[in-house]
Amino acid sequence: MRRINFNRILYSDTTWAFILLLPNFLGFMIFLMVPMVVSFGMSFVSWDLFGPVRWVGLGNYIELFFEDQVFRRVFWNTLYFTAVTVPISIVLSLLLALAMDQKIIGIRFFRVAYFMPVISSMIAVAIVWQWIYNPEFGLLNYILGLIGIEGQSWLSDVFLAMPAIIVVAIWQGLGFNMLLFLAGLQGISEIYYEAAEVDGAGWFQKFWNITIPLLAPTTFFILVMAVIGALQAFDAVYLMTAGGPARATSVLAHYLFQNAFQYFRMGYASAIAYVLFFLVLSFTLIQLRRQRAWFL
Amino acid sequence: MVMFKKNKLMTGIVVVLVVLGLVFGGIILTRPPIEPEDVAAEPVVEEPVVEDPAEEPVEEEITLHFVGWEASPLETESVQKGLDSFMTQNPNITVEYMPVPHAEYETKLITSMAGGAAADVFFVGTELYRSLHLKGQLLDITEYFEAELELDYFIPSAASIMVINDRIYGVSSCTVSPILFYNRDIFDKAGLPYPPKNPDEAWTWNEFLEVAKQLTIVEGGETKQFGAFGFENPAWPYMKIAMFLSNEGDVFNEDFTETTMNTPEVKEVLQAVFDLRQKYGASPEALVLEHLGMSPSHMLQTGRVAMLIDGSWALQELAQMDFPVGIGVLPKFERAVTHGQAHLHSAWIDTPNPYEAWRLISFLSSEEYQLDLIRSGLWMPNRTALYTEEGIARWFNPDVHPEGFMDVIPFIRDAVAYPFAFNVRPATMDIIAEELGAFFNGGKPLDETLTDIESRVNEELAREQ
Repeated sequence: MRRINFNRILYSDTTWAFILLLPNFLGFMIFLMVPMVVSFGMSFVSWDLFGPVRWVGLGNYIELFFEDQVFRRVFWNTLYFTAVTVPISIVLSLLLALAMDQKIIGIRFFRVAYFMPVISSMIAVAIVWQWIYNPEFGLLNYILGLIGIEGQSWLSDVFLAMPAIIVVAIWQGLGFNMLLFLAGLQGISEIYYEAAEVDGAGWFQKFWNITIPLLAPTTFFILVMAVIGALQAFDAVYLMTAGGPARATSVLAHYLFQNAFQYFRMGYASAIAYVLFFLVLSFTLIQLRRQRAWFL
Repeated sequence: MVMFKKNKLMTGIVVVLVVLGLVFGGIILTRPPIEPEDVAAEPVVEEPVVEDPAEEPVEEEITLHFVGWEASPLETESVQKGLDSFMTQNPNITVEYMPVPHAEYETKLITSMAGGAAADVFFVGTELYRSLHLKGQLLDITEYFEAELELDYFIPSAASIMVINDRIYGVSSCTVSPILFYNRDIFDKAGLPYPPKNPDEAWTWNEFLEVAKQLTIVEGGETKQFGAFGFENPAWPYMKIAMFLSNEGDVFNEDFTETTMNTPEVKEVLQAVFDLRQKYGASPEALVLEHLGMSPSHMLQTGRVAMLIDGSWALQELAQMDFPVGIGVLPKFERAVTHGQAHLHSAWIDTPNPYEAWRLISFLSSEEYQLDLIRSGLWMPNRTALYTEEGIARWFNPDVHPEGFMDVIPFIRDAVAYPFAFNVRPATMDIIAEELGAFFNGGKPLDETLTDIESRVNEELAREQ
């Protein structure tokens, strides 16, 4: 008869690894994995939190893609927001990082200044920007007025509201991306630049042939994170325009929130969540595929 | 190596033992003191029962949870003051009040109900009342209500909102209505007569428009003073609905199964509101101001606008500002009318203490509780008894209610019940707001807007829940 060797189990690193990982694992299961699986199941039912759960099969998805014109609008808004925000944000933060990489007086002050929006509460940011955008008393229209340009109703014009929100989103995210680029820049050894200078390379040649390729891992990381973040955009929209005017700024996460917690259509909201999930997933997979091209 | 592992193991065991020791030791240590307290508390609980055996229910120590939103700091203060008085009158009931920010209120209330942890008594917005009833979350308080009160005690708009299929699930708190405020100084300076107060003398829309145009001052291409503000905000059709009603139009049909917005009556109103700003420049841009959280009252106070269309509740804020406020009835299309509604107090279906919950609801609908808030200008009374001459004398406050207010009182008393109080699909409001936004701010033609509102709202109303 074999006896179980308790000592061996007790002294095994694996046992302890399991024990020590357990709290985190339980937290992940209870608060993430289980809700994810449940909400996937919920996307096939109709449920208002109180009434009976009714199986509708693919009904929610069919309604989303073929019947709900608001969803179509919101879907395009999300892509619009992402397609504009991400590239501008990456280019600007790279330029900013290059500027912040210089050894000039007061550089720490500027670094902090550009990072401030990142750590500011979105509520405060939203209020300040609403004032800036105010058509009657706002700073922006005042400045435009000084140079003879007629002021606009930035947040309440159907065509201007989304660009106005995008500006705030880019402004707020700039510092974070800048910080990552700065770290990337400082990780590039001076040797390459010195060698290039010996070969007579100019500023742009060094930037294009050394900085850009060697920053590729950082850029890639920022790109993936920025796309994920932009697709999930919610707070700026919710706080500044509540999706209006005329749904011009309503994005997927906002419509999901409305369906779940204002219209109490839990099944429908879950279906939106899964559309958003697959959208994020497919973008990320495409980028991962292209990753090889990046580093060649 | 083995020693090292053993050391690690020993350390691990010691840590686990210390943690367990602290946790359970703590429990063991903290537990006993609770029991003597409980024992000591018991006689106190029983005392009132012994003293007052005539009291119908057995009086145990009970804690009621009560949630509401904060419409103004004054309201929260008044609620707390009222609750203190209620607790003095009902020594066995402790009320724990929790105000929740208004923007999150519905979400929090409904999710707490779904989670089986809702408060015993709560505010219910009129727009939510019937859908909460449909979800089976409101306690039927008809029996309690009929034992103490009568529907006739309430003004018609408040009474009709409370009753669902001949049953009552909540008691109206007060009433509020869209109304016209103005800055008297601006009218004096322009030498224009004040807006009428008596509903029989209400301005027609065109008369209102003419005055608004005259009071609009443009200097160097910039509007220094606007004639009127308040109707347009597309995100909230509340004020415009009063005008629909005035033009014999409405938002929904009689049984609230379809929208009636695609009619010439509603169209005329929307076009008139549109023209006020976009054709005549007599009104400032609406949406952004609302989003700013800036009170329109400040615009009236600072002379940026001459007339303000706002809820009657704004009087509380306006009365505290240092300028001569005037009040008048809304302009009319066919008839002078406004709409009325205000939040209700309801009890949760699963409250363990329905009788005590009713006691609190009853108190919240009492004059004792209401009068302070009415005197402050935030609320208007919902009881017919407070609209008689003696009744008005009990709350009329010359420091708050402006000159001529007496003439405006019947306008609010006779308000039509707010149509959205009978609607059970919150998404309809968002559809209307979205479409009106496209019309007011996106250049969408009005006919197309109304056709789209009609088809989309009807689709939402017909959708199986």
